[in-house]
This record gives sequence, structure tokens and C-alpha cells, in this order.
Amino acid sequence: MAARRSRSRSSKGPAKRPSQSKAQREFVSEAEEILERMRGDLSDLADQRAAGGDVDPDLVNRLFRSAHSLKGLAGMFGLESLSELAHHLEDVLDGMRLGRVALDSPAPNLLDEAVAVFAAELGVLGAGPSAGSDGAALQDLISRIDGAVQAPADRDVELTDLDLDPALLRALTEYEEHRLRENIRRGRRILLVEATFEILAFDEGLAELTAAVREAGEVLSTLPSPGAAPESQIRFGLLAATERDAESVRAGLDFPHAAVRSVYEPPVAESRRQPARVAAPAAPQPAAPERGPKPPASADIESLKSISDTVRVDIRKLDELMNLVGELVIQRGAIGSIARRLGAEPATARVGMELDKAHKQLDRKIQELQAGVLEVRMVPLRQVFEKLSRVVRRLRRDLGKDVRLELRGADTELDKLIVEDLVDPMMHVVRNAFDHAIESVEERSAAGKPSEGSIRIQAFQRGNHVVIEVADDGRGLDLERIQARGIERGLLEPDATASRRELLDLVFVPGFSTRDEVTETSGRGVGMDVVKNNLTALGGVVDLESERGRGSRVTFTLPITLAIIQALVVGVADQRYAIPLNSVLETLLIDVSDIQQSDGREILNLRGDPLLLRRLADEFGLTGGGVEKPNVVVLGLGDARLGVLVDRLEGQQDTVIKPVQGPIQNVRGIAGATELGDLGAVLVLDVAALIEDALRRREAA
Amino acid sequence: MSASEAAAEWDALARTAAAPAGDEETELLRELLCFELDGTPYAVPVERVREIVRMRAITPVPRVPDPVCGVIALRGEIIEVVDLRLRLRLPCAETSRRTRIIVLHGEDGRVAGLLVDAVNEVLRLPEDAIQPAGAGDSESVAALCQREGRFVSLIDLERVMDVDGES
Repeated sequence: MAARRSRSRSSKGPAKRPSQSKAQREFVSEAEEILERMRGDLSDLADQRAAGGDVDPDLVNRLFRSAHSLKGLAGMFGLESLSELAHHLEDVLDGMRLGRVALDSPAPNLLDEAVAVFAAELGVLGAGPSAGSDGAALQDLISRIDGAVQAPADRDVELTDLDLDPALLRALTEYEEHRLRENIRRGRRILLVEATFEILAFDEGLAELTAAVREAGEVLSTLPSPGAAPESQIRFGLLAATERDAESVRAGLDFPHAAVRSVYEPPVAESRRQPARVAAPAAPQPAAPERGPKPPASADIESLKSISDTVRVDIRKLDELMNLVGELVIQRGAIGSIARRLGAEPATARVGMELDKAHKQLDRKIQELQAGVLEVRMVPLRQVFEKLSRVVRRLRRDLGKDVRLELRGADTELDKLIVEDLVDPMMHVVRNAFDHAIESVEERSAAGKPSEGSIRIQAFQRGNHVVIEVADDGRGLDLERIQARGIERGLLEPDATASRRELLDLVFVPGFSTRDEVTETSGRGVGMDVVKNNLTALGGVVDLESERGRGSRVTFTLPITLAIIQALVVGVADQRYAIPLNSVLETLLIDVSDIQQSDGREILNLRGDPLLLRRLADEFGLTGGGVEKPNVVVLGLGDARLGVLVDRLEGQQDTVIKPVQGPIQNVRGIAGATELGDLGAVLVLDVAALIEDALRRREAA
Repeated sequence: MSASEAAAEWDALARTAAAPAGDEETELLRELLCFELDGTPYAVPVERVREIVRMRAITPVPRVPDPVCGVIALRGEIIEVVDLRLRLRLPCAETSRRTRIIVLHGEDGRVAGLLVDAVNEVLRLPEDAIQPAGAGDSESVAALCQREGRFVSLIDLERVMDVDGES
């Protein structure tokens, strides 16, 4: 909930009020904590103001963050007026930080009052719905804050008087400009210190210079200087405020090439113009001004408004980070194999062991890093659920059907990218259920069902996967009709006895039962092939279960993240392929003679059950290879099983699956590719497609 | 190794490109990257070239048309490489030290690699020195230009990259 609402505060849709009591209790307790913190900070602030010195920017920052959290919290719970009050608090604090609101203006005095009002409102909420809030007092306070904030801060110094390139002035952030004015008001001299550094080592040199200038006063801003710098050098200008004159500052610097000039000289006699509050603390002055603001590393003080506990990040940036982590993972693999090679040689065994130890430690850290980056990408399913309930509300209105939507597991987290792509297929399934599966009220009561239909969506995590079920209590699928339709379409042999599973799978065949009788009566099958393709693209599978008259259930099984997977690297002939480990059930070393023939297919007796085999070499038309003792990789997705025959197993690797870029966008059976150290690009098998093709071939046979 | 090498290579190309900067200003110049295929000069527009890399391990991809010789890994990206000799139905050849992969980016942001015998230079030509290919030319050639009396064929990238519907 990092979103900051704009000043205009567009109404955020119908504010959702989660079940009043519990949610509100949570809100009240959390808000109270924040208020407590603010009271402490406000009293510190009052002390500092009374002392007449500079106010610690960190303190104002903290207060701002608190106000920001309060606003977010109140907004989340649909408490409009409190959210608005917090918003105004935020304005005051932001203004104070940027110097727009003077400390001696009335605005800061309103902060205490605002916190008190907020606390009172909380008390009202805590007391339960019967107690009334004092809306008028709240509004009155808000308008007074508005008035105070809008009173113009005195800007008595014309910055254009400075002997400084206007372009430089424009480059100052608002905060830097505020510090500049403040220092001028205090009668300090403004100097521009310019120096040239070697590009390769400028950061070090610049840091030294900055530190040296800070000895003499406050560094207001660091600006790249336009002046001509020789090639491979870079020129910087430091804008500094000081009590000392240019020559003495110059002398104090251990930088022979630095140029110091004064861009503003304080008027000699009339330092009376300073506001009264600064006149007092002349004695403990020396350290005071430098203590507060750190040297402006410009970007992070740009505006206080961007400082809060949460940041919004472009998902592409996260992808870049993820790529980097992926490359680290690859490098780690390389180090591991060097360690093993060294360890295997008696001469270097010792070093090998040490390297191996270091490698293991690196490994742990990389895993933490990986987990951290992954975690950042995770978002709860809530947003998808909210969209779905909006759609159901609308359908309910439009179709006049009485359907209850039950949502469970909204907190289940998934990779942001998966969540985005999940909306459409889920929408499709829910709409199908609503449109077709749930019967009319008459039909339902005739069947002895409650008149209100139900669609239940449930999400939960299972191992490395997230499972989302969409279940309805509608009419279910008519398997007989599906069979008839399948025979008609030539998908089934007329006299073959198709299993229940095979019949249900027909629903996913492209174009099956689109806009025909089966759809109208069975209520499903419209575009389920599209749903399936969407899921496959996300590395997931979709399953369908249905019982006539009782309802249907569509189950999505998705990987938690697309980003990093564990892969089993296998070798066939002179090629290598990676298989996502989460779909590998087991591997078996067999003898060619173990392979049995059945009906033109190769099968293996796997502990009493027949396992259909496919040779990867045949699948991909590879020549060469073929060994006496091949390995069988048993793949499983949902209920389907397939044994894939390969020549070698070459180990496990953490990999990042990348899409293949180029003229051929989709190759059946290939999910993408990955870079594996010195092996270069290795193709990643699309397990779902391989299984499906093998099973389909079996049916065709 | 690749990044700095590629950079150096680019640098050299850029320098040759910048060298004959005589009387531009008024004329609109097209920049073409010239390369060699079976002893014949070809070219692609420089603005479509993302980088040029040396030959490296190409992982074959099953179930794709012949001209797609496989994929390479380039700084974390996986890029398909089209063997331009095969695509233009020229005889196959062994790769050599001069073999290069030209990494192109399409107008739609799609990236692809083009395997060529050697990369020669960047040509700067006035727009009118480029003439549309005649009817007799291969349909993979979009235009011709002259370079010291020799014709250079400007590749029609859209067509060449359409390996699926190979003509």
C-alpha cells in the first residue's frame, strides 16, 4: 500500500470496510502506536524550537513519515476524514522540512492540536459505532491548517543577486535552495569551490574535498561544473555557506588546484534582519549548523515527500536485479566446479577445500539475496480477487442472478508478473461459472439446491506452487454430451470407451464446443484452451473436475515465481537440456533391456505401473548418442506422468529461464533457455508440452 | 572478453565511419554496415545493428527451420542466430576467425543474430546512391549501392528474418 494519494484525493472507488470490529481494532491499535511516537517527537520539536536553534531535519522527517503512515492506514480502512487530517499534517511537515512553512508561523503549533484531535477520533472509533465523532471540530482544524500552510513563507533573499550561473541555481533541489536561503538569512558568506578530478578516481577526491570544505562551513550542494575540463577529467563545484572568507577557506584546503570564490557577501552592518529566534544561541553555535543536514547527496533529499517507509519500484528494475542475481548464481556454479577440480587433485586438495568452504558461505549469502529479491517481487493475490469480485458484482446486476462469491486466501503471495497475467484466465473461468454453470433460480430449486448459487475461490500455497481453485455449485459438465461431441469432431473413436479424464480433457481442445449445444447445456468449454495456454505460458497447469448436477472445479497450479528455478541438466547425444526440477518426480538408471514394448510404444514397469517412455533424441531429431544404460527422468504435472529417456544426468543448477529472442517465437517443447556458465545457452524443456504431446500421441495411436 | 572486444570493434567501425566526413551537412547520409558472405559484399542499415560479436558456441534448437542455427547467450539474453548463408541459399562454409554474429534489433524491439563470414566497414552514402533492387535480384535484397565500382546488396531484414514463412 505504498500508493500516495494525490492532493486532489480522487475517491478511491467505493471504500471497502472490512468487517468492522476486528479490522478497526487493528487500525486503532496501530494508529495509537504511531500517535504515541508522534507525541514524543513533537515534544522534542517544541524543545528545539524553544531553544531557538536549528530544528533537526531527521526529527521532521520522522514526523512526516508518521503522518504518512497514518494517512495510508486511515485510507486503507476507508476513514476518509482521518485520512484527510493526516494528509494535512503531512503538508505542514513537508512544508517545514522544505522551508516553505516557517517555524515561527502558526502552522507548527497546529501539529499538537492535530495529534490530539486524531487521538480523540480514535477513541470514538474504539468506543464502538454508537459514539459520535466531532466532525465539525475536525473540519475546522483542517481548514485552519490549510490557512497556515498557505501563508507565504518569507522569502526576503533574491537568489538572483548571487554571483552564480542561473543554470546552477536551477539545478538546486528545493531543499538545497531552502538551505541556501536560510544561510543567507543568517548572514553567512556563500562560496563556490571548484576543482577538477581524474574521472577514474573522482569519487574519492570529491569526498576528500567535501570533507575539507565542511570543516569551514556547510556544504549546500555538489554540482558538476560546466567549465572546460581536460579529457578524462571531471570538474565539480561545491556550493558552501561559511562564516569565513574565501581566502581563509582556500588556505585551509589541501587542494592546490581548487578555486574558491565568493558568490554572496553578507551585508556588513545589518545582520539585524535575521529573525529574532536565531539571534539568541550565539554561544553554542560552532557545531550546530553542520550537525543537521548531511552533505546534500542531492537525489535523496530532492523532496521529503518521497521519503517514506515504502518505495514503489518499476518491475523491470526488479527484473534487472533478478538477472544480476541469476548471473551471480551462474558464477557461483563456476566457482563450485573449480573448487571440486582443485579438491580432486592431491596437490591442490587443501586449497580446494578452503575454496569449497568459501564457496559454501557465498552460496548461503546468495541464497539469502535471492530470497530477498524474490520476496520483493511477491504480491498478494488480493488485487486479483478484488477485480474478480467487482466483475461478479456487475454480472450479478446485469444478469440478475443470485450468486455469492466466496474468496479465501487473498494473502497468498505470488510473483507480481504471474499475478498480472492471472487476471484474464481467472476472469474467464469465473465468468463461465457465472454465465453457464450456475442455473436459474427455478432450475436450482427444482434440483433441490439453495436458490443462491455459489462460486468459491480458494488460494493456498503447496510447496513451491500456489494452487487456486475456482469451484461452483452449478450444473456440472455433461460427460455424455462431451463424448458425443468428441466423436462427432473425430477426437474420439466411436466405439472406444473414453475415460472420465480423457473426456474432461477434451474441454481444453481448441475450438471444442464453441457456441454449440454442449456449451449451452454444460456451461463450459468456451475458450478453455485459451485459459490453458495462458497458464502454460506462466509455467502452470490447469485441471478440471466436474460432477453432473453438483458443480465443477477448475484448479490452477502455478509456480510461485518465474524468476529462478532449479533445473536438472541432462545430456542427449552431444546436446544438453535443462528440465525444471519441480516437475521431475524421480530419475532412474535403467538398462535398455528393461524397456518393454506395448502397442508400438515404449513403456517401463515402474513399481508395477506402466510408465510411458519417450526418447528425447527422437523427440528432437538428434542423431548419435544412445547408451546401454540410459537414464529415465520421470516427469509429472498434475496427474500425468511421462518418462523421458536421456543419455546422461549432468547435475542440478539454479537457473533463470529466459525467453528466446529471435524470429522463431515459440518452439513446441522448449520453454526458454538459460545461460549455464561455460556451457553457454542451454534450452529448458517445456514439460507440460512434452507430456501432453506424448499422451496425445498415445491416444492417436 | 566479448564486451570489450565488441566495443573495440565498434570503435574501429565508428572511426572509419567518421573519417570521410567531407561534405556532409547538406546531404542526407545513410550509414550501412557492410559484411561479407561467400565473397560478396552485403549491407544492413547501421541503425538496426545493436552490436557485433565474435563467433561463439551456438546451441542448436530443435524443430526450427534450417537457417536458424541455434541460440547464443549474450550477457544473460538468449538470442536466436540465423545463418545468413543458409537463408540466402548460399553454400555452407566452415566458420573462421573472421566469422561474426551481427546482433540486430527489429523495429518492434525483437532481437536476432545474423551469422556472416566477416564484417568489413561502415559505409556512409547519400540517400540517392542507394537504388531499389531490380526485378532480377534476390527477394532478400532490398536495394543496391555502389562501393568503388562494386555493388553492395542491402539486405531486406524483414524478409530475411521471416524464416518461418521462408520463401
